[in-house]
Amino acid sequence: MYRIIELLSLSNTLRLVALSVVILALNGCAAMKGIHEEDQLIQGENVERNEFSVAKGDDVIGRLWTIRLEKGDTLPDIARHFSLGINEVSATNPGVDIWVPATGERIILPLSFILPDAPRKGIVINLAAMRLFQFKGDGTSLAVLTYPVGVGTEERPSPTGQMLVERKVTRPTWHVPASIAMDHRKKGDILPAAILPGPQNPLGEYALYLSKPSYLIHGTNKPASIGLRATNGCIRLYPEDIKKLYGRTPVKTPVRIVNQPYLLGKSKGVVYMEVHAPLENLDATEFDRTYAKLRSIEKESGRPLDWNRVKKALAEASGIPVPIYETGQGRGKEGADPLEVRHPSALNGIPKIPELKSDAWSVLAADVRDRVDAVRLSTIINHQGPPIPARVLAKNDRYRVVAGPFDDIREAKDAIKRLKIDLELDGKLIEPANKNNSMERR
Amino acid sequence: MKSLLMIPMMLVLAFAVGGCATQGDLEKVQSQQMLTDAKADQAAQEAQAAKAASDAAALKAEDAATRAENALKMAEEREKVANEKAKKADAIFQKSMKK
Repeated sequence: MYRIIELLSLSNTLRLVALSVVILALNGCAAMKGIHEEDQLIQGENVERNEFSVAKGDDVIGRLWTIRLEKGDTLPDIARHFSLGINEVSATNPGVDIWVPATGERIILPLSFILPDAPRKGIVINLAAMRLFQFKGDGTSLAVLTYPVGVGTEERPSPTGQMLVERKVTRPTWHVPASIAMDHRKKGDILPAAILPGPQNPLGEYALYLSKPSYLIHGTNKPASIGLRATNGCIRLYPEDIKKLYGRTPVKTPVRIVNQPYLLGKSKGVVYMEVHAPLENLDATEFDRTYAKLRSIEKESGRPLDWNRVKKALAEASGIPVPIYETGQGRGKEGADPLEVRHPSALNGIPKIPELKSDAWSVLAADVRDRVDAVRLSTIINHQGPPIPARVLAKNDRYRVVAGPFDDIREAKDAIKRLKIDLELDGKLIEPANKNNSMERR
Repeated sequence: MKSLLMIPMMLVLAFAVGGCATQGDLEKVQSQQMLTDAKADQAAQEAQAAKAASDAAALKAEDAATRAENALKMAEEREKVANEKAKKADAIFQKSMKK
């Protein structure tokens, strides 16, 4: 009897041990899963941004990715790192603060594009998408390189039509057009007749002169303007992108500039629609053309399109390819959920902000009550072209945006002028703690 | 005959005794009525107090609701102001990006 009780008690103990082992193992699985998921995040450098192969019969390239934002990130910095325009990142992530997004927020990197409706030859620029495509290869294998661009303003729009690359120039000089000189003069900014290569030159380091006179594809000293309507009709690229494009574009390359806010394309049996907020100067015929195409797809297949999806795509204008119809041959990219990319340890092209030095000149750009306002302002100042280093300093219950350090009073005064002309800020000069030393250094 | 006389006498006595009981009852009823009145007064007072308390609570609740609504409106207003500020800052930024 004693032995039976002993055996029973032993069996209970064994059960307890077994249960503990199972629980621990499950816990281990959960922890391992976490580690595994962390491992599964794709490294930033493995994300294809610019170069894609085009499968025969396909019009859609790339894929969507997501990234979790870290402290201090801004959407223009994330956009530049992944060779996207700020228009693309903002349209895909509506409601996310461009300059002060929430830390930990997961955003979409819209690295998926429908090729414009144009011959796949040379360079094709879609103004509405603010994106340039360069086609390489023949009918059997086609590769496309794509870069985000900045385009002309409403007042000075980029031209459309067929042209070609007439000449190529590295370190171009910018001969200031009279109309632009006049605009600057009105703001109290007197420009010289020509701006030599260097950080002040808005053309950047490389320029492709187009056969349409006065229009160029060039770099920029304002990288945060990529994805904006900010040029006088030229096409601007990130400095790193124009370098690549310049190297791969021979003189006489055909360049076609189109304005297509409504794009339709097929990929693996799925019809996609990509809608961009149309530029103001677009007439209604562009939409009529798209509508006719949609009707034709519907007629050819003999099955009704999902018009609700079409309406939704039009209303959202997210700039990403959205499946609107399945032919039943496959699920294509519709089934491919966005993959998460690991946040890089450093973002390419992020403005550098040197420490303030007590023996250097600086500028009080603003003194505000709200921390977010101060952070937003300082990041906007940092993203000027050329950049003006700025940071936020907390003082009692207020926040000061201080620009600098500047080597001398002339540099500091120049920053004050730029803050006034470009950002409507009244900066105040802050003298170095030891003014005599600074005077000597001048 | 004597016994016949006894009957009315008994009846008179019974009535007299009965009359006495009615008087006592009346007093009792009157005291009970007074008690009831007092109780009714108390209940009325209590009801009034309860109504006053309920009115006060309603007022307080209404006040709290108004304050909550105001706080919500203020939060919305703050958000609107923050959005407007962000939009304004972004518009200025975009202008600054021109050549």
